[in-house]
Amino acid sequence: MVAEQLFIMSILLYAAGAGASLLLGKMDRHANYVAAITAFLAAVTGMAWAIPVLAGGAGFTLNFTGFIPFTQFVIRVDQLSAFMALVISLLTAATALYSLSYLEEYSGKGKGLLGFFMNIFIGSMILVVTVGDAFYFLIFWELMTLASFFLVSFEQEKKESTGAGLVYLIMAHVGTALIMLSFLLFVSKTGSFDFATFSEAPLSEGLKTTAFILAFLGFGAKAGIIPLHIWLPQAHPAAPSNISALMSGVMIKTAIYGIIRVGVDFLGATNYWWGVIVLLAGAVSAVLGVMYALAQHDLKRLLAFHSVENIGIILMGVGVGMLGAALEQPMLAVLGLMAGLYHLINHATFKGLLFLGAGSVLYRTHSKNMEKLGGLVKRMPFTAFAFLIGAAAISALPPLNGFVSEWYTYHSLFLAAKSGSWWVTLVASVVIVMLAITGALAAMCFVKAYGVTFAGAARSHHAETAREVPPTMVAGMFVLVVAIVILGVGAPWLVPAFTSVAASLLNQPAVPAAAGMIMYPGFLIQGTLSTPLMAILLVGLVTLPLLLVALGGGFGTGRRVDEAPWACGYAYNPRMGYTASSFAQPLRVIFRAIYRPQTHVKGPRYTSKSYFEGPVHYESHASSLWEDYLYKPLVAAVMRTGTYIQKLQAGSIHLYLLYIIIILVSFLLIATR
Amino acid sequence: MDYGKLILVGLLQAALIMLAAPLLDGISRRLRARIHSRRGGSIFQTYYDLFKLLKREETVPPQASWVFAATPYILVATLLLLAMIIPSITLMSPLGLVGDLFAVIYLMALVRFFFSLSGLDSGSTFAAAGSSREMMLAVLIEPAMVVVLLTLALLAGSTNLGSISVQVASGQISFLHPAFIIGLLAFLIATAVETGKLPFDLAEAEQELQEGPLTEYSGRGMALMKLALLMKQVIVVALFLALFLPFGGAVDITSGSLILGSIIFLGKLLVFYTLVALIENAVARYRITDVTVITSLSFGIALISFVFYLALS
Repeated sequence: MVAEQLFIMSILLYAAGAGASLLLGKMDRHANYVAAITAFLAAVTGMAWAIPVLAGGAGFTLNFTGFIPFTQFVIRVDQLSAFMALVISLLTAATALYSLSYLEEYSGKGKGLLGFFMNIFIGSMILVVTVGDAFYFLIFWELMTLASFFLVSFEQEKKESTGAGLVYLIMAHVGTALIMLSFLLFVSKTGSFDFATFSEAPLSEGLKTTAFILAFLGFGAKAGIIPLHIWLPQAHPAAPSNISALMSGVMIKTAIYGIIRVGVDFLGATNYWWGVIVLLAGAVSAVLGVMYALAQHDLKRLLAFHSVENIGIILMGVGVGMLGAALEQPMLAVLGLMAGLYHLINHATFKGLLFLGAGSVLYRTHSKNMEKLGGLVKRMPFTAFAFLIGAAAISALPPLNGFVSEWYTYHSLFLAAKSGSWWVTLVASVVIVMLAITGALAAMCFVKAYGVTFAGAARSHHAETAREVPPTMVAGMFVLVVAIVILGVGAPWLVPAFTSVAASLLNQPAVPAAAGMIMYPGFLIQGTLSTPLMAILLVGLVTLPLLLVALGGGFGTGRRVDEAPWACGYAYNPRMGYTASSFAQPLRVIFRAIYRPQTHVKGPRYTSKSYFEGPVHYESHASSLWEDYLYKPLVAAVMRTGTYIQKLQAGSIHLYLLYIIIILVSFLLIATR
Repeated sequence: MDYGKLILVGLLQAALIMLAAPLLDGISRRLRARIHSRRGGSIFQTYYDLFKLLKREETVPPQASWVFAATPYILVATLLLLAMIIPSITLMSPLGLVGDLFAVIYLMALVRFFFSLSGLDSGSTFAAAGSSREMMLAVLIEPAMVVVLLTLALLAGSTNLGSISVQVASGQISFLHPAFIIGLLAFLIATAVETGKLPFDLAEAEQELQEGPLTEYSGRGMALMKLALLMKQVIVVALFLALFLPFGGAVDITSGSLILGSIIFLGKLLVFYTLVALIENAVARYRITDVTVITSLSFGIALISFVFYLALS
């Protein structure tokens, strides 16, 4: 009973926040405070209803009167919905705190409107994951898409924003159309829009596969699966950073929710091919996503590409889960799905944190170009620390949360490799290796992201004069730092809750995956892990080197700051420091088949004089395979078709009348036949 | 099983690896001198070096932040934890509960992450070049290592290192299994790359990069960083030994078998270091872009090993 009331309260708070913010539109500052505070309260309320549902296991259903005759507005909350709502609320709470000061940047640019769309955006996400009716699902899905579209193209004066907004709008609607088609298949067989009837839809095997593929592609476009990802690295960086955090942290997860809902809940994941498709799509997205990320020197664009990577890792877990369900191996199914869900909440925390960190850098330096930053750790110590924790977590370093979920992903894949026929072993092993490559690349990428942005010497005036961001922004980031540590070190106590979400979805009993301080994938002999023990031992073992130094007399001698790093005897210059491009250079050479790097040199060259005469402009960038070979030809083909169709439109009324008559006659012929 | 006792064994093992690392380095330095027809220093020279460094004043560049200062401690602590997990003097993993193969891979990544970050943090160009190479090398060699580890884990039915060691030592995983032998070969290359010795001394290339990420370290920081690098070499070799040549490790936890296990472990390390010293004096350093040849060879061999597993299972 209480959960229901809290749910309604939280939705009403989002609505109130949106409305108030719009009304206060003229009073910029107040609008911002009202929008952020209501969003924060709504998020806390959201957590207050989601956590008991997750812990207690009992969901609820809310029936509202049908506003529209053929369908019912029904809210149906099960464990998965509660889990998703918890993830959204957690990140919203942190982001709302952060927004209080962050939005000062947007003074005089219509903060009222920003607050309005932000609240609508979050509220519609909560409704997307809780609504129990296909018709309303699509309405809220569209509301979420449009609100985020307006947020992406909020900075109208920037060409980057409007362009990104357009690509996003197109991709999102192609996706929505596919989802709609998939739902219509169910509706055509059950005659109802109610999700509850979907799982009993009498679909033939062929139609089931069609429904799944349509939904997978449709949701995949939103999730950013390669090659449907092209909007993502444009749209996420273009939005204000608090919105980027929400888009990357949670919005793309609603697509994962959709894939699980359709594939596992409605269709029961009966066909093992679906699992394989999801698994391979995940693996490809993970490896290519992180490779593209490495080539970036725009901090937010780099983070956006990492969302593609992490969606891939989440899909690996989901894929194993679906494979397990199809092969009728409940343990495999539950573990795989659990690994995917665990990584989902983890990614929300660390990617949210990293985007907020990037936002803080942007707030103080007005630049997201890493080449122009550097040395910020001295000037923005809290931001730097939070970013480092996020970077360590996303690189899956133990004992933080990214490691735990990747560990379970590895083990679910390992279990799959052990339990099936040889082709399952092959597929699972290939994916394990791809996950390992992803891990190594991600670590490299985040050493680069942190190192080039925060460490070394400042490479621009803005970076030199930066200072720490206001306390509320720091607080917003530290909420997520705490979440990361709890989700990592406290994992053994949280895992049972996550397995129960996966198990309830598959109608299976819970699988043993943690006991006391130890985690294990189903069987103890498979392998064990204990992040709390690991954390204790790591902290404990630090005393040994400290002791060694103390015994060796190291603390007695001083510590002196010398004037500059060693530079071969030359005077040190900040430009000598490594930049993002130089750090990733060896990789760009070795994997040139993927990056296809292009360099442009302008100015005098290849002469003895060229060293002394005039500036030389050097430019190097990686080109996008997908845009050049998939989307550009596609757009060209559409344009060509368009020109042909244009010939029909001659501008003559007589001709149009002729068309109408021809069509009428042909319809009549068909009808009377 | 007595977990308390096992943790003690783990601590013992960690201490042994920490203490043996400089000695093994000293021996290999002496060997190198002999190959050069020099007399060479004492085999304890590395200890003397480390203790001298501990007493020296530390000088840091102005760009360095707390990451630079904390890295030596983080590295040594993580490597000690690794030393406790990898079964070396025993067949069982003393700290099997804390981690398995996948955890070991990611603890290694933790070491690499901070090692590399410290280079960037110092602001020095040489250090940063070393950092970039360190991460690059991981990207190149990790796939091969994972394929071999996965094949072994599949053979053993468990990712627990101790469980694999026991099965190899007892012959449950046949030494003659093609997947095992070929995997051994691939992992040997990977081990050589990971130890960072010639011809794979890329990140800390002394003559070229002034020891890479170590460039700006001095005094106690330098001492701990050097110690960490030496320990890392031993641990990488210990991992190879635990997986492929675990014979002679202690089966039960009695002081007699533990001492015997330690002696056998040290003996195996000594053989390995002697071989490495011979190789080190016969080859030149690879260029970073040429290393791909070796790493892809290693990956290819690893794949063959995996295919043998698939075909024979």
